[in-house]
Order: sequence, then structure tokens, then C-alpha cells
Amino acid sequence: MTEATFDPKDFEPIVHTRQVQSISRPSLSYWQDAWIRLKANTRALVSLYIVIGLMAFTILGPIVWSIDPSLQDLDQISIPPGADREATLVQSYIPWDGTTLLEVSPGLRLAEPATTQSVRLLWDPIDGLSGYRIFRNLFPVGPERALGLPLAENFSSRDVAFEDRLDLRPGRYYYSVLGVNESGDESGYLETLVVNVARVITFDEALSRGLIDETADLKEGDTLTLGLHPLGTDYLGRDLLARLMSGARVSLFIGICAPFLFVAFGVIYGSAAGFVGGRFDQGMMRFADFVVALPFLLFMILFKIVFGIGPGESGIAPMLLAMVILLWPATARLVRGQILQIRQEAYISASQLLGAKTNYLVLRHMIPNTMGVILVTLTFAVPSAIFTEAFLSFIGMGVAPPTPSWGSMCNEGIKTMLTHPHELIFPALLISITVLAFNLLGDGLRDALDARMRSTE
Amino acid sequence: MNPVTDTSGTAVAQDSFSKSAGRQLLIYALMSIAGVGLLMVALSWASSLTGASAGSQVAVDPKLNMITLTLAEEPPQLNSTLQTDTVSGMVIGHLMEGLLRYDHNNDLAPGVARRWENTGTTATFWLRKDALWSDGVPVTAHDFVFAWRTVVDPANASEYAFILFPVQNAEEINNGDMPLEALGVTAIDDYTLKVQLARPTAYFDKLMAFSTYYPIREDFYNQTNGRYGADADELLYNGPFVLSRWVHGANLRMEKNLNYWDADRIRLDVIEFPYITSDQNALVNLFTDKKIAYTTLGAESLETALEKRWHLNRFMDGSVFYIEFNFRSHRLTHNYHLRKAMQLAIDPAELVYKVTKIPGYLPAESIFPVWLRGVDNFFREEYPAPKVTVDIEAAKRHLAIAKRELGITEIPPLVLLTGDNPISNIQSEYYQGAFKKHLGIDIKIDKQIFKQRLAKMTSGEFDMVLAGWGPDYDDPLTFGDLFASWNLNNRGRYNNPELDRQVHIAQTEIDPRTRMEAFAEIQRIIIEDVVVLLSYERGVVYVTDPRLKGVVRRQAGADPDFTNAYIVDIAN
Repeated sequence: MTEATFDPKDFEPIVHTRQVQSISRPSLSYWQDAWIRLKANTRALVSLYIVIGLMAFTILGPIVWSIDPSLQDLDQISIPPGADREATLVQSYIPWDGTTLLEVSPGLRLAEPATTQSVRLLWDPIDGLSGYRIFRNLFPVGPERALGLPLAENFSSRDVAFEDRLDLRPGRYYYSVLGVNESGDESGYLETLVVNVARVITFDEALSRGLIDETADLKEGDTLTLGLHPLGTDYLGRDLLARLMSGARVSLFIGICAPFLFVAFGVIYGSAAGFVGGRFDQGMMRFADFVVALPFLLFMILFKIVFGIGPGESGIAPMLLAMVILLWPATARLVRGQILQIRQEAYISASQLLGAKTNYLVLRHMIPNTMGVILVTLTFAVPSAIFTEAFLSFIGMGVAPPTPSWGSMCNEGIKTMLTHPHELIFPALLISITVLAFNLLGDGLRDALDARMRSTE
Repeated sequence: MNPVTDTSGTAVAQDSFSKSAGRQLLIYALMSIAGVGLLMVALSWASSLTGASAGSQVAVDPKLNMITLTLAEEPPQLNSTLQTDTVSGMVIGHLMEGLLRYDHNNDLAPGVARRWENTGTTATFWLRKDALWSDGVPVTAHDFVFAWRTVVDPANASEYAFILFPVQNAEEINNGDMPLEALGVTAIDDYTLKVQLARPTAYFDKLMAFSTYYPIREDFYNQTNGRYGADADELLYNGPFVLSRWVHGANLRMEKNLNYWDADRIRLDVIEFPYITSDQNALVNLFTDKKIAYTTLGAESLETALEKRWHLNRFMDGSVFYIEFNFRSHRLTHNYHLRKAMQLAIDPAELVYKVTKIPGYLPAESIFPVWLRGVDNFFREEYPAPKVTVDIEAAKRHLAIAKRELGITEIPPLVLLTGDNPISNIQSEYYQGAFKKHLGIDIKIDKQIFKQRLAKMTSGEFDMVLAGWGPDYDDPLTFGDLFASWNLNNRGRYNNPELDRQVHIAQTEIDPRTRMEAFAEIQRIIIEDVVVLLSYERGVVYVTDPRLKGVVRRQAGADPDFTNAYIVDIAN
């Protein structure tokens, strides 16, 4: 055992300091705390930025990229993003009589240089045939003799000219001329010609698209650059970027307006039912059950008829109404449940005993405590509303052409999915990103706004 | 125990609990995946059981002498007096035969009648004695008399009753003014049919190949209690094939009719229709998988077809498509200058070459398609249509006159009624853009399904409508009388006494030259008075299995026609 040693200092009285409980961190309001927790959630934060970006894309986009979304550029139909845009100026189309100014060489030949305006073919007459079939292929004609697209049939052995104007794109084509004999069968005569087609534009077209002005000193053969389409064009040569921006307006309008309205209605309905309770609550909730059972699509169609939405008019208004009228019960149930729960809390009884009025109870205690639930419902309702709009426009119940919406653009794009995938991919991508961003943001908000999680961190 | 170990113990417990819960979940997930997989296998096995007769299809089966095809839609019924759509027309054309038929060169050939004579006011048909119904009973002249009376019977409400109007009293009977027995057709004996014509009809023999003129046997018809043609066993056949199975909404099967008088000509034994679809991607996939022997191709699948090195064919189906105007006086489109402005602003060539993009489509220049025969040559070569060239400046001048005449400063949006199919959609959007760009006219597109569109056309709820007309018989009159004031298919109520007079000449004259001149005059009026805006003559691109030969395409009559088809067995 060691001996204890003391010195006089040990016997001095402790200096009495006024040690009061101090606040080590600044006080935080509910919202500040929620914001801090949302900021800590990277997924939610990124989603928030995406949502802000989408708003900018919708509202500011058309100011920056001011191309009319319904303007048809028939020289650039279904072009993918980043396609070559060089074109040569030519005269307007003049019908052809089947003659040529080029020097005569035997066999299948071009009467004029091949352009996207027309490809003019000539060949030598073969006696004893009753006609010719003209084919065009994108691939070389192999041993299987697949000649490609049957373009036309000439019904005389003297008829040895053909002009192709069908959907010509710059690139390489393989033209074939096949002889047909009296009985209508293939004869042995077959010639193939490789043709390189150059992109051209006429003066009139260039003028009307604003690529050149009246005074421009340009002559035939000069090259110019066609209008820029950063994301390509659709099946009628309309600018895809402009259409996506314009479509976003419809999609986001429905996506934000409808949930806001039906959630607001649901909150009022649900809190009224929950607060009053009893028979009144039972009746109101059974009515909500009844509304849940109503088929959405059928009502959408009914509203369209009742509204007298005529031909070619947008179905957005009935869609909004159908959503507001039919989708509120989910929110109402949720809010009612919350209110019922809060009503039993001790602090409510305390408030009541202290003489709080109903208004005060609802506004000061009940609504703020259900706010988290309401906000989360709202953020989850947004993607589902966007999706519903896209779906309805996809089946042709939504906007009327030429107004685009993402859903209707997908519907159009799906037809050319294999040949021009960009017409489907861009609108589909935007729908997916938007829906995902809103969902993740809603997820983050739920975590951030949950008051019970406040103490655990 | 101190408190520290206590909390850590809880933590461990919680941890192990969540672990075991995770494991449980994983097991559930795996089980459900396995369950779904098993269910799929079971279902596919079950479907192969039930579909054994219709399933395991091959495009061409040389052993069974069988081919497999698709139908775009299910025929509503196969009663020849009620048939209006092309799919039922094609099926009925394989099952039944009229007095005359079209052969593989699309020339008229003897059918049930072996010989016929048309003197202008009467037509006589001598029937062959070896023509039998599928139950072995001979086809007689009485069967035709009964069928034709049924067609014009107002109680039967046949939409195609008008095609019998060349027969004496047919129109009156159809209007309910005369009894059925007054119809100008009599069976002199079992094998001689005599027809009194209401007016000299040069093209009457061509009508005999049309399905509304097909025979029906009275005793069988009555025995079906109004279900004639509603099922495979509610129909009696006298054509190359019989319908041996018809599962509604699913599939059909045709087998060679052994009682057919010309059975030696028919080389196929079985035609299966296991799929009813018009979905372009589905059809292309079925053909790629060698499940069907024939399919048409849309613009979007042409590139795929080129990649797969298929041998493509093209065929003009004979129909003309146009925009019909509404001439009712409260509609703006009754104004000539407005119509003229629209005519001068659009170029059908642009539509065909840049928008629809299907080889086989031809920019329409006349209401009479190129394939119609004139006096000695093609009608359009003998009587070329007046040329219309795009002239935006002139169009704007006409538009200004139209606005002045109508007393308005701005043309309100015009309603364009269209069908709900890919070609109509793209076409109407193209017109919408073109009229907006060149004339500043807004177009509202009213997209409707076929039946609804027809109802709206009939009640006149449109300014313009995308319409088309396919030939019923091989004579320019099938197009020429479309805009006669009495024609019910003249949905815009166009009324021009001069055009009516020319149609009357074409209907009653016998001399080909006089008739063709009347058609040329009709052609001129339709273009110069802008009765329609011409769009295109329709074509199709199709592909057939290389082993299937002898498929006949035709403008008038059952199309495509597989009655002459045969299989060549190329060793793979």
C-alpha cells in the first residue's frame, strides 16, 4: 500500500464559478435542420440539381434555342444528332424528259450527277424485252441477287430512263435494272450501278429556311451549311431539341400542377375527416373508397366528351381534371391517419385545457406535424403524374399535334426505333431522368423531413 | 453486468437479426424468381398443348402442301351480301366464286358461267353443270337469283346494294318501293340466268366477279337462322377453298375444296391463318422467323428488309387517296378560291417522296389511277390530266380573294378528319405544317377510328377529310361516279350538274370512246373545280417466301390471291 502524500494546495477551497448550462450549437429550426440533412444526402442533392436544371430547360431553353418546334425541315428528315450538314446549292427541280447532256457511254449510267433532289438513270434498250424493273439497294448486290427496293417498272423495251426522287439521302446507293420478258418473268438482263448521292438544296428552299438572304452573292454549286439540329430531327424534319423543350412544358405543367392540386384537396379533406372524426369521418372515408374504385382512363375519356374537347384540341384540361378528381384519396387517407394519431397526443390535450381554439390547434399543431408526410406525398405524386401524362399521350389521349409532349414523342419514335433510334431515345431518356430525379428527391425529403430522425444524428 | 456490455449485446442482437432477416429475404427472392421461371415454362408448355393444331407453324410446308399467312384483322362475317372490307373480300374471294372470275393475268375468265352474252339491255349467262357446292349439290341459276334478291332486300341492309343497281328495279326494291320478286333477274332453267338491265351497262360482265354478286343457296341460308357466314359451318362454299376452322379472334384454316369444278387448277392443299395482326414489327419478326410466307412492309421496316437481303416486290393496289372537301354551304371550304389556294400550295410529290417514303406510292395527278384502261391504251395516256403546279404567290392571291368573298380577315382553323393509322397520322401532320407555312391556315386534326370517321363523314362533321377509294370493278366508272350528286359516298355533298351529266353519259353509253371522253371531262372538272386535293396512288411493298410462287396481286377483286399459288421445294 502506498503512502498518500498531501500538500497544502489540496486543502484550498474550490473557486466557485457560475457554471450555467450553455448552448454549444446555434439553435436550428425544423426547416434548417431538414435542409442540413438533405444536403448531406448526395443522391437527393444531385436530384434536386437535376430538377432545377429541368425547370431551366423548360423555361429558359426556348429563349436560348428559339426554333419553332413544329417547323418542318423536309430536307433533313430523321437525321441523327451530329450529322453532316454541308449542302450544295442547285436550281429548283425541273421535270426530266429522259435525255442527257453528258457524253454517251454504254450500259447503265447517270444522266446527271446524282443529288438528293433526283437520281436520273439511263440504260441501253434491249430488244425482245417487254420492260424493266428498277431497284435500289443500300448494300452491294451479292450472289443471292437481293436487288433491294423495287422502285418502279417500265412497260416498254424502249423506255430506258428512270428518275428516282424517293427519300434520297447523301451516301452510296446500288441501282439495278432488271429486264422483264413477255411472260412477265425476269430475263437474263441485269445491270448494277454504284451511285454516290450528294446533298443539295435549292435556292428557294435555302431562302425560305433563312439560310441565305436575297442579296447573298451565291451561285449554283456553292456549298452552304444547313440548319443546325443538335439532337437531330424527327420523321417530319422537326427539330428534336425544340420539341423536347416544348414537350417538357406540357409534361412538367401536368406533373407539377396536378399533384399540387390533388394533394391540397386531399390534405383539406383528410384533415377535416380526421379532426371531426366519428360518423362524419366514416362517411367521408367511405366516399374516398368509392372514388378510389373509379377507373381513371374511363373518366379521362368521359371528361374529354363532357368538356366538348373537339377535334384537334388538346386533352390537357380534362387530363388535369381527371387527375385532381380521382387521385386525391391516397393523400386524404394518409393525412387523416396522421391527424387521428396527433389528436390523441398529450400536448393537444394540454393545449385544449389551456383554452386553444380549434383553428389554433389545426394550424399550430396538426398541419405542421403532418407537413413531412404531405411534402413526401407531393414529391412522389409528381413523377407518377408525369408518367401518367406520358402514358396518356403515348396512347393518343393527350396533346393534339403539332404540340409535342414527351409521351407522344415516344409514341412516334417507337415506330422508327430500329432505323432512327434517336427519335425514341431522347424523349424516353428525359422521362426516365425526370421520374428518377423526382423519386430520389422525394426519398431524400422523406429522410430529411422526418422529425423523429432529428435526434439520432 | 455493467451497462456497456448490455448495449453492445443489444447491438449484436440487432445486427444478427437484420442479417438473418436479409437472408430470409434473399431466400424469398430466389424462390419467387424460381417460381416465376417455373410458371413460364409450364405456361409455354400448356400453350404448346392447346395450340398444337395451330401452333408449330412453318411458312411453307412442301409435304403437307401448306402455307401459313396472316390476316390484318378478323373478318366481321363472311356473308357475301354484307361484306364491305378488304380482308373479308380476300377471304370470301378464296371461298366462293361468282359467275365470272379474274384469272392469273387479271383478265376476266369463266367462273360458274361457262358462256355469257351482254346485249346492252339484257345479259344472259349459261352456267356450267359441274359447278358444285361443297356439300355436292350443283350450283344453279336459282342460287344467284336468291343471293341478288337478298342483297337488294331493304331488310338485309347491305351497304353494297348500290352495286346491283344496274339490274332492273334493284334501286326501287332497295328503297322499299317494289317487292323483291320485281328484281330483273330470272332463272330460265337451272343452268340459264337472264338479267334485265335498268340501263345499258357496258361493264356489267366485270361486275360478275365482284363478291356481292356471288351465289347463296336458299335452303342453306334459311337453315342458318340469320347466322349465315358467321362461322365456318354456317357457310356453304363453291370456290377453290373451304373454311375448315374459324376460331373467332384467333385463327382460320382453309382447305382445298374437292368439289370445286376446277379443283385441278388449285395446287395448294391448306392455307393456315394462325395470326390476326397488322402490327408491322410483329409481321416482320414472323417473316424473319419463317413463320409466315407473305407480309407487306411499312416504310419503317424497309431498311431491315434490305439488311436481310429479302427479295422485295412492289404492287400498286389500285386505290387513290385524296383530301375531300365539305361543300355544305355553312362550311368555308365551299369557297372555290380557298380550295384553289390550298391546291396551289401543296405538292403531292413532296408528300410521296419525302414524307411517306414507300416505293410504290405515286403522286396522284388525277382521280383516275394510272392502271385504268381507256379505249385502246391506258386511260391516263389517252386523256392526260390537267397539270397543277405549286405556285405559292398565286395561292396567296386566291386566299386573299377567298377572305374577301367570305367577309373574314382570318381563316379560322379548319378541321381535317383522318383515320387512326401511321400513314394518315404522318400525312395529316405534313398537311398541317404545309398549310400553316404557306397560307397561314391552321388545321385541327380530328383523328378517328374507321367506323367513327365514316359516321362523321356521313354527317358532314368536317371541313376536309383524308379519304381514299379502291376500285370495285375494272372500269373507270368505279372512280368516275364518286362525286355524282346522288352518290352516297360523295360525303362532301359536291353538286355539279355538269359533272352529273357526264357521269350519266358514262353510265348509259355503250361506245367506249364516248364514255372515255365523259371520264376525261369528269377528270377535268374534279381538278379545275378543286373537288379534291389529290395525294397519292397507293402501293405496297411486300415479300413472299422464296418457295412460294404464283401469288397474284390485283386491283379489283380478292387481293392477294393465293388460288394459283404453288410451292417449289428448293433443297436448302
